[in-house]
Amino acid sequence: MTTLVGAADLPPLEYQVKAAFLLNFTKFVEWPVASFAEEHSPFVICILGEDPFGAALNQMVKGEGVGGRNLIVQRIRRAPEPKSCQVLFIGGSEKDIPKTLAEVGPGILTVGEGETFLHDGGMIAFVIENRRVRFDINQKTAGTAMLRISSRLLNVARSVEK
Amino acid sequence: MNLRILLWLLLLAAVTPRAKGDEPQRPSQGNTGPQALKNLSLEDLSQIEVTTPSKEPTKASQTPAAIFVITGEDIRRSGATSIPEALRLAPGVEVARIDSNKWSIGIRGFGSRLTRSVLVLIDGRTVFTPLFDGTYWEVQDTMLEDIDRIEVIRGPGGTIWGPNAVNGVINIITKEARDTRGTLVSAGGGNEDQGFLNARYGGGNGNDLNYRVYAKAFTRSPEFHPDGRNFDDWRAAQGGFRIDWSKDQRDTVTIQGDAYDESAGESVQAVSYTQPYSQIVDANAALSGANIMGHWRRVLNDHNDIQVQVYYDRTNRQEANFGELRNTFDIDFLQRIRLPARHQISWGLGARVGPVRDIEVVSGLTFTPSKRTDSLFTAFVQDEIGLVDHRLSLTLGTKFLHTNFTGHGLEPSARLMWTPSGKQTVWAAFTHALRTPSDSEENFNLSGYVGTAPNGTPYFARFNANTNFAPEQLNGYELGYRQLLTPKLYVDVAGFYNHYHDLFSEDITGPTFLETTPAPTHLLLPAQFRNGLLGFTKGVEIAPEWRATNFWRLRGSYSYLHMDIEPAPHSGDVGTAPGIEGSSPQHQVAVQSAVDLSKSLQLDLGYRYVSALPGQKVPAYSTGDARFGWRIGRQFELSFVGRNLLQPSHAESGGDPGPLVGIKRSAYVRLTWSR
Repeated sequence: MTTLVGAADLPPLEYQVKAAFLLNFTKFVEWPVASFAEEHSPFVICILGEDPFGAALNQMVKGEGVGGRNLIVQRIRRAPEPKSCQVLFIGGSEKDIPKTLAEVGPGILTVGEGETFLHDGGMIAFVIENRRVRFDINQKTAGTAMLRISSRLLNVARSVEK
Repeated sequence: MNLRILLWLLLLAAVTPRAKGDEPQRPSQGNTGPQALKNLSLEDLSQIEVTTPSKEPTKASQTPAAIFVITGEDIRRSGATSIPEALRLAPGVEVARIDSNKWSIGIRGFGSRLTRSVLVLIDGRTVFTPLFDGTYWEVQDTMLEDIDRIEVIRGPGGTIWGPNAVNGVINIITKEARDTRGTLVSAGGGNEDQGFLNARYGGGNGNDLNYRVYAKAFTRSPEFHPDGRNFDDWRAAQGGFRIDWSKDQRDTVTIQGDAYDESAGESVQAVSYTQPYSQIVDANAALSGANIMGHWRRVLNDHNDIQVQVYYDRTNRQEANFGELRNTFDIDFLQRIRLPARHQISWGLGARVGPVRDIEVVSGLTFTPSKRTDSLFTAFVQDEIGLVDHRLSLTLGTKFLHTNFTGHGLEPSARLMWTPSGKQTVWAAFTHALRTPSDSEENFNLSGYVGTAPNGTPYFARFNANTNFAPEQLNGYELGYRQLLTPKLYVDVAGFYNHYHDLFSEDITGPTFLETTPAPTHLLLPAQFRNGLLGFTKGVEIAPEWRATNFWRLRGSYSYLHMDIEPAPHSGDVGTAPGIEGSSPQHQVAVQSAVDLSKSLQLDLGYRYVSALPGQKVPAYSTGDARFGWRIGRQFELSFVGRNLLQPSHAESGGDPGPLVGIKRSAYVRLTWSR
């Protein structure tokens, strides 16, 4: 049973599941080498603005890697520089998401929340459907950013825009 | 968000199996945790219900009740343009359209225009009326695109839900405001649904506050009338809003409201003690109303929380034979407490007060007194006991209630659920439920014109108000089984035996006599609504679902019902039982197929068979619906919908004076724009 203290450390289940999805996305998307600053640069998941994942995402990435690189999580305050992040999560609390997305360069997988996120120019949008976390993918936007999304991920998506 | 839903859940929450060491691959609410989650597959992650058990129902598949959930997506793909039409998707529910704007709906029998003994709620607000303990479906609407789900519970739910949840509960739950951000406009029209326009805008401060506003309007043409009296045209407009605010996942506040105005064509019998005594009037009913509701919830931890809900609802009906102005004030409190040794206690209090004024239009339909205040006070307590951890659970509880019509009432229930594995559920329930008396028995005087005696004296029969009407009583016995047979095939079977007594009857109470008031002098056969019927219903509902491929889903249901209602010994009932028995179908079959032809094309087909209703002189019928949806780019969807396609028209239920109204084959096209 979750204790009061334990509950305080972890975000709601919704965000634990979203964190697990984020981790999964790193396995089903191919990043071009040019997405990284150096040969041994870590693989970075950036959280822009308020972090809804609490301790969950940190616990999940501990000891994980992507394509031989260490996997780390960074909290950032403004749109990332090119090659500094490979996954950018933008929380629903962020203001002016379309503007932020327009500033994000290629090689960064943008993940956000709500059906409007894809319209704003994002690549993967978490949605809640039937009390479950699902996600929509905009394959075209991802392609433009030089990212290849595996068919496995596309099949699980609720909808895919091509 | 919804108090009663919560309550219901509570009933169920204790019994949800939680992922334990022996089943590491099976995710569930409770104690997953980051380490367990990260090892799940994408598919498994997509199956986790992420709202906490204290906030939302547990999975319907692990509920010790006959529950069926119609999702917003199901409604969209069905092509339904009203809530009653959407209810056809649920097994065991009898939906029969009387005309363009009226339905007869029942659950497990007792189908009628009034849908008595079925409790209907929209976001926790009770929309059934104490006027007759039923629901006026034509004024229950919202933006269908904003409905998250409709939970249909067949069978009694009195302990949690309170009085009048005798044959079932229909819970309409709208989406949270954060799930409706953005703009959505849908518009279209066709031969029956002549024109409709729905618009919603949702936004927020980008953080803890979200809102939406909506407006909708439609106009609908009459159905098929063999006598050409096309009285049932229908126009309506409605608007509303919802604001959700949450603080640190601890406090959640929702404020929402709606207002509507309708003109619904109808044909009614108007009886008066002066000439012409009786006439059929075709006129438009003027229907309007508004409500506002506030809900606050504080979560203390997973198993402890407090909720308070308050609402005000106003309805105004002006018909050709009566009028009513009703106000309802309601407050509910709920607390859940976890105690050691696997006890989850829930308790609550509720009060509802409704000042009402009935307006006399004709002398043959009056209420005495015409200004009243209806009231209802309730308390309930329930304990969910985990007998064998995550495998066997027992839920015991009772509701106490007091209304202005009756003294105290008690609605106890016991539910047992066994989940031998995560894929199987067996449940059984015993429930005692009450349908409390309503204005239409206790304060209602309804006259009928019989004819004129040879000497020219008019002759009437009148049901006089019966202030001694007792609650209708039900003892319900239910058994259910659900199993995920293969990863793609799921089946849900529920059976019931309901024993009723003190059921509503229409009794002659004395010999005909000469009555002088109301003038002029007339012959009167005195009658009353009493509690003279008893009997039982039994039946079974089988609802399989087959996800044949990832682009094709096939669902179906078969519902069997047997009703055996008869007058109690010494009852003076005039013979209403056959009409009650004959107004619900013995057999219903439904099949729905949903195919994604491609990422942008959808084809939905529906078929239904409903056996004859001898009480309504309606023959058996079968008909079908079809929808073709085409997603155009990111922002547009065009859909073509055909309903009742298999014949030019077919009757589903009587209810209007004159010949049966035929429900027409209809088609419409809809364009939806969202961004």
